[in-house]
Parts: sequence; structure tokens; C-alpha cells
Amino acid sequence: MDWITPYAALIAGAVAVPALVLLYFLKLKRRQVPVSSTLLWKRAVQDLQVNAPLRLPRKNILLLLQLLALAALLVALGRPVLSLDTSPPRRVVLLIDQSASMRATDASPTRLAEAKRQAREVLESLRAGSTWSFGSRPDEAMVITFAGRARVLCNYTADKAQLAAAIDSIEETDGETLLADAVAVARAYATPAGAEDKGRSAESPARLDLFSDGRIADLDRVIVAPGEINFHSIGRTADNVAIVALQARRSFENPEALNVFVDLANYGSEAVACEVQLAIDANVRGVQAVTVPPRPARPPGDAGKPGHTVVSFVLAHAGAGVMEARLLRPDALASDNAVWAVLAPVKPLAVLLVTEGNPPLRSALKSCAPARLDAIRPADFDRLYGAAGAPEMPYDLVVLDRHAPDRLPRGNYLVFGRPPAVSGAHVEGELKNRWMVDWRSRHPALNFVNLDNVLVAKAHRMVLPRDATVLAEFEDAPAMAEVRRQGGVMLLVSFDTLQSSWPFDAGFVMFCCNVVNYIGREAAEGQAPGLKVGQPLSVRVAPGVRQATVTTPDGATARVESSPSGAVRYGATWRAGVYRLAVEGGAEHLFALNLLDAAESDIGAARELVFPGQVVKAEEGGPARANQELWPFLVLLGLAIVYIEWYVYNAKARL
Amino acid sequence: MSEGATPTRGARLTELLDARFMASLDRLDITSRKILQGKLKGERQTKRRGQGVEFADHRQYASGDDVRFLDWNIYGRLDQLFLKMFLEEQDLSLHILVDSSASTALGRPAKDKHLRRLAAALAYVGLVNNNRVSLCTFADGLTGRLLNMRGRRYLGAMAEFLLDAPAEGVTHFEKACGQWVSGRMGSGVTVVLSDFLFKDGYEAGLKRLIGSRYELCVIHVLSPGERSPDMTGDLSLVDVEDGDVSEVTITGALLKQYQRNLAAWCAGLREFCVRRGATYVLTDSAQPADRLVLEHLRRHRLLG
Repeated sequence: MDWITPYAALIAGAVAVPALVLLYFLKLKRRQVPVSSTLLWKRAVQDLQVNAPLRLPRKNILLLLQLLALAALLVALGRPVLSLDTSPPRRVVLLIDQSASMRATDASPTRLAEAKRQAREVLESLRAGSTWSFGSRPDEAMVITFAGRARVLCNYTADKAQLAAAIDSIEETDGETLLADAVAVARAYATPAGAEDKGRSAESPARLDLFSDGRIADLDRVIVAPGEINFHSIGRTADNVAIVALQARRSFENPEALNVFVDLANYGSEAVACEVQLAIDANVRGVQAVTVPPRPARPPGDAGKPGHTVVSFVLAHAGAGVMEARLLRPDALASDNAVWAVLAPVKPLAVLLVTEGNPPLRSALKSCAPARLDAIRPADFDRLYGAAGAPEMPYDLVVLDRHAPDRLPRGNYLVFGRPPAVSGAHVEGELKNRWMVDWRSRHPALNFVNLDNVLVAKAHRMVLPRDATVLAEFEDAPAMAEVRRQGGVMLLVSFDTLQSSWPFDAGFVMFCCNVVNYIGREAAEGQAPGLKVGQPLSVRVAPGVRQATVTTPDGATARVESSPSGAVRYGATWRAGVYRLAVEGGAEHLFALNLLDAAESDIGAARELVFPGQVVKAEEGGPARANQELWPFLVLLGLAIVYIEWYVYNAKARL
Repeated sequence: MSEGATPTRGARLTELLDARFMASLDRLDITSRKILQGKLKGERQTKRRGQGVEFADHRQYASGDDVRFLDWNIYGRLDQLFLKMFLEEQDLSLHILVDSSASTALGRPAKDKHLRRLAAALAYVGLVNNNRVSLCTFADGLTGRLLNMRGRRYLGAMAEFLLDAPAEGVTHFEKACGQWVSGRMGSGVTVVLSDFLFKDGYEAGLKRLIGSRYELCVIHVLSPGERSPDMTGDLSLVDVEDGDVSEVTITGALLKQYQRNLAAWCAGLREFCVRRGATYVLTDSAQPADRLVLEHLRRHRLLG
């Protein structure tokens, strides 16, 4: 027999019992009845008191019954628990998925709420512990919630109230589902912390109770022992239509024209007719009806790809704004029914070409139609911008052709030939007659660019810093790379164009235009083209700016401090939507954070988890009760005594 | 009494006694088992030997006796002087004491109505039979008197007196009896009508009323609610007379005990009366007055 809240009962008893007894000593508010004479009544009362077998007033029976009822309720308040389980104490980790798919409403009210309810059920099934426990040591539990990251909400404790509060504090997010972190954290906590826990953790490894819909992206990275994980599958339906991609591009020919592509995916087994609404700054600009095909039939166990369709809109919109594409069809998961994009205004681009003379490059840049294209010699460039403390670049993009000055002001650069020292890359020898073997065709700079036929006669063997992104490679060295320095983007091409066959390739012009577009339009804005939920917001600020205010999609505001390096970062981006970051005394920056995650949009709940070498089936039925709380019986007993008391009171009055 | 007042008074009499009841009362008279002495020679045979018509006995002549009553026939036969004695007919004094304390106003039906109706019935019988009737109400001492009425013409006044007497005040029975006894003369029948729930006891008062020349009749009136109370719960019982408060929780046991005590109280009063030759009648205010008068009082030989 254990007591969960003995002190609450003691305190309540210390207050209630004297109060009840006191009530008996207080004068009753009696109804006044006139009688001819109180003579006989007084005598009767006296006689009765004299003749009573017990020298107690009759109402003391009622008092006794009331005290009994009160005692039953007070004992119930102490929450005595009858332990039914005599196995050694366990340690349980409650892993609760709070990813976007857990916001689906196929479980009432949401999957997360259902997961929390089931977690509480498991929690209730644990053996309680208290200072008044007469049995063995109690079970302990900890609470970890995970989406893109794992968070420990409550460390191992036997205090169920604290655990329940931790479970209640879990909020919905629009994050992805990564379990590996959470399992690693759980194991880290499960290892013995000190000598006193040594015996226990050796004999009873912690059990992981996973509450999730099973849409976990990194199952292949998690290795579990047999029986280590109890999987509680939450949710049922797979019926969901999602926007999985949104792209808004300004046309090259006409920057005011905006091409918007919305990619829809249907995870259900039936075709869905729905409408897609496109709005800019809350003004609806277009609605299109579309039918999304169903997920192709596949053998059971193989989910396959969802049905896809693309809707495109063409709008005229030159200014800035927030674009929202929304599916006008309610379904189980609302988070993926809307995506946002922040539109940069059409900005006249200024490009500076620093070269001793490179007509192909110059004509290629010219064909990209920047508003301004200036060409200067490297000597002039050094004179103008090479000095220490040079001003901000007045150009959106500087193309350095075979020129690598030691100092560069802040800005965006496309460098052909030897990389400048600022980039962190250096050159170790030369390469000759190389072909490109691989390149990242999905990078914006290499969109529609084919490097198959490019022969490079002479190139530098670049050694890149660790944070660089390689865009194209020779067999044994990087050919192109992207590094971000001083808040700007630097694209490094390790060879001189004139030493290659590239200028004769149509892809070269395409590359130049992509770079102008990518760096000049998007990177130059300092705003990422589209962030995923969970990625941090980051803004360069002028020196001296200390604070910024972030407004989240649900209207809450948070103040963030700037870092010494002149950047403001905000990391708690757990909900999809438009975040506004207002820099102190400066402009407001908009960020669109979207779910855009096919794994999360595919909300069909998994009944089993396939770990490497291990398949874990979902738990069926509720958790086995390790203990029986006695308070409902005690409350019933209390009510029964109250009923008896009422009966006795009436019976005595009417006899 | 003015002529004009008569119909009103007659009408008020019917508030107390209805015509049929009065008709049945007409046949009755007050009887007394005691030797009674009135001031006027009345219609009543008394045990007093005297100047009556009906022969009673002989006795030896003593000097000073009225020689007119010597029985000369016996003297002729026995040569001794015997005096003829006759039963003298006298009038009868009927004294009615009615409780008019505040406690009589209680009860459903109210006890005071019943008390006054009974008093009116008795007074009616007395007046109709040319007896001398005195009516008194008492509470804290005597509160009203209507003395020495004789004959039907007092019926209206009697009714008015009874109807107008207020039911108020505490009861001081012994004091009232003392006052009344000090003003009483002659002999007759005394009828006391009350609920007899006196805190200081009825004994002392009744002892004063019981004397050699007066026959006492005690009519004890309780209300149904007093005989079997219909109350439950936690109550604060307030004595209407002295305002005494008794807080009781009425339970089955308490009710039983109360009824036991009430029965003992009534039995004690009855025994007290019977032992002293008085008549005791217990009634409750729900009983019809005519039934009590026509049946019980006749059975108790108060009326005949």
C-alpha cells in the first residue's frame, strides 16, 4: 500500500475534522415554533437524557457517521495505491513525437493530444512512490519530446505530478521527425549516474515508450535492442493533401511577371478535387480548381509515392510582399495546407566586372540584362576598394576574373581563377586537361547547366575550407564551390574561363545568368529563399544594433540580442508561417517558414517500425496496471456513509 | 340592558352556540352532589332541611325550634315532640373560571374557542335554569368578571363577555384562584376550564378552589397538536406566555417521551381531582363542544 499525496490528506484532515467538530458545537439555526408551554418538552428532553443508555447526545451518531464519511474522503485524498506488480522497479522513458504529422486531427482532438493521453495512461500504470511507501522502490520515468530536435522535459523521477506536468507542457510543432537524437539522449540519461543506482540500471535497462504516428524519417539510423522499445501507434488515416513545394520566380524577360508553381501531393487512395488559392499580402490573387490523383496502388507495406500535380499561376507583381498558397480543403493535417514565400521587390541589379579583358564573360553577363554592368581593371578595383575599411560595395555582384586581392569589402562575389585569401581556400598546384565529372545540378547557380562537355585546360587545385559547399568537381579536386563569408556569398570557380571550352558552351551564359539571379536577387537580399520549420532566422545588422523583435505566426513576440559578430539569430521556429524580424531602428525582415516535408505530410500511421535488423510492432491495448488506485472506492464508501447518515437522521426523526 | 342591544347580543350568542345545541341544552340542568346553599329559595331541592315542601325526616324537638313544624300526629300517638323536616329547595351558584392566557390562543383548532364554547354552554344551562351564574376569565390573576347573572336575559351579556375577553398574558393560576376564592360566597359548583399547562403547577390553585361548600369540576382542554405533536427536526420551541426558549431536536424517542410525560401529567391531574372529590374531564379542542357537553358532562353528573 502506497500513498501518493499523503500530505495533502493530512493537511485537509487537519482543517476539515476540527471544522466539522466545531460545526457541531456551533449553535444550529433552528426554526422557531411557538408552543403553549415548554414545560413538557423540557421534561421530555431531560428524561431522555437521563434514560439514554449512553450519555451522549443522539446527534453524536450522526457526527460519528459524518466523521467516518470525512475520513473515507480524506483517505481517498491521500490516494492510496494497492500495488499489484511485484517485479523489480523499472525505468521508463516516455518519448513523445511532437512533429508536424502529430498535429493531424484524425485522433480526437489531435494525435499529439492522444499521445499525451496515452503517455499519461502509461504513467498512471507505473508504481507510485512516496515517502510513505511501504513496498519496494517506485518506478521512475523521464519525458523526452522530439521533432527535429530532442528535448528532455523531465529527468528520471518517480513524481507522477511532475511527469504529468511535463507531458502537459508539450506543444505542437511543425517540425520533422528525427528519432535518433531522442534515443541517444534517452540512453545517455539511462546510464548509471552514481554508485547508488548501479545495481538497478544493470538489472533493469530503461524501457522506451514511443508515442508516435510512426512517420519517422531516420529509422535507419536508430538501432534498438529487442524489447527495448514499446511503440504506441497514434492515428489512423492517410487521407491528406499537402502542398509539398512552392516556387515563385520572376521571369528573366519581364521581372514584374511572377511565375508561381505549387506542387500538390495526395497521400490518400482516392483522387481529390480541391481549390488552390494564391494570395499576396492577404489579397487573393487567384484560385484554381485542381484534381490531385490518388496514390498509385502498391502492395501492402510499400507506401510508394503520393499522387502529384502542379498548379501554376502567373501574376504581375513588382513589389515586395508575402505570398501565401493555400489549399481550400480541410483535411486531417492543416499545417501543410498553406505555404508562404517572401517576395523580394524587383530591384535593378548592378554588376561589377573586374577583368583585364574577357569578352565572352562580359557578353555573357550582359545577356543577363542587369540594370548596370560596369567593367574595371583590377588595378582600379584595388585602388577603389582594396584599402582597409573600404565602404560597402555599391554593386550587388562583383565578378573577379583572374584577380585575387588580399582584401575584399563585404559583398557577393563570383571569382574565376585563383580564390582570394578571404574565402579561406588556397591553391596547391595546378591541374591540366580535366573534365567535370560531377556537379550539383539542383543548386540555383547550376540550374539547367550541363557541364558534361566542358574541358578545362588549366585549373588551380583548390583546397577548400570545411564549411564550403562543392558545386562541381574534377576527378580529384573541386572545380566550383560556394562559401559564405562576411555575410555574403562567394562562388569560386577554380579555372580561368579562357583556359576552358566553357565559353563556347550554352551552359556558360546560363550559369552567368543563374549566378546573377541567385546572388543578385536572392542571396543579396540576405533572406533565404525559403526556410524549413526549425531552421533559424538570421539577419545581418549594422554594428551598434543590439536588439531585434521577432513576431511569430501566432502573434507572439520575442526579443533577441544581436551577437558580437553583427548578426541576429532566432531559433525557436517550430511553427510554419511568416516570421517578422524587426531590427531596432531598422527595417523589418520577413521570413517564410514552411513545412514542405513529404515525410510529415504522409500522415498514414504506421503500425510497425522497421529499425535496422528489428521490426517493432505497435502495442495493442492499454498498458497493464501495475497498481490499483483506491480513491474511487473510498469516495463511493464516503458517499454510502453519507447516505446512511441521511437515512439515520430521517429515521430517527420519523419513528 | 337596553332593548336595542338584545338582537346583537342574541346574534353573538349564536357565534358560540348554535340553535340546535341550545335546544338540546334547554333540557339540562346543573346538578350537584353536595349540599348547596343559595341566597334565594330556588327551584332546586337541597339537602338542607328547612322550609321546603317535600318531607324529609323527623327529629327530636329542641327548645328554640320553630313550633310550626311540630308533628302533632306523632305527639298524639307517642306523646313526644318531633319536628317535621323538609328538604328546602334552593338556587345554585355556578361559577365558571375560563383560562384566557396567551397559550389558549394556540392549537389547531384554537383552544380558546373551544374553552369559551364550553363555558358558554355551561353558563347557558345555568342561566336557563335560573341558577346564579358567575363567569371569570383568568390569566395573570383574574382578568374579567361577570357576576351574579340569573335568567335568560343575561345570555347576551354572557356571550359578549366570553367573545370579547382577550387571550393574552401569562398564567398565574394560584393567584387567580386566590383572588376568586376571596370574592366567592355561598355554595355551588365551580367549573375550571383550562389547558392546565402551568409551569408552577396546578395543585396549589386547585386546593384553594376545593372547599366544603363548592363542588369542583375541572375541564382540561388540549389541542390535537399538543396531544400528538407533528413536528420534526431541529426546532427552537418558544413558550408563548413567558418567551422561554427550549431548543430540541425532535426525534422519535423524544416524541415518545413527550407523550409519556403528557399522559403522566393528565393522569396526575385526574388523580389529584378524583382524590379530592372533584370531577375531571379531559378533552381536546378538535372535539365538538356539544358532544362533550351532552355526553361527557352528563356522564360525569355535572349536568342532568
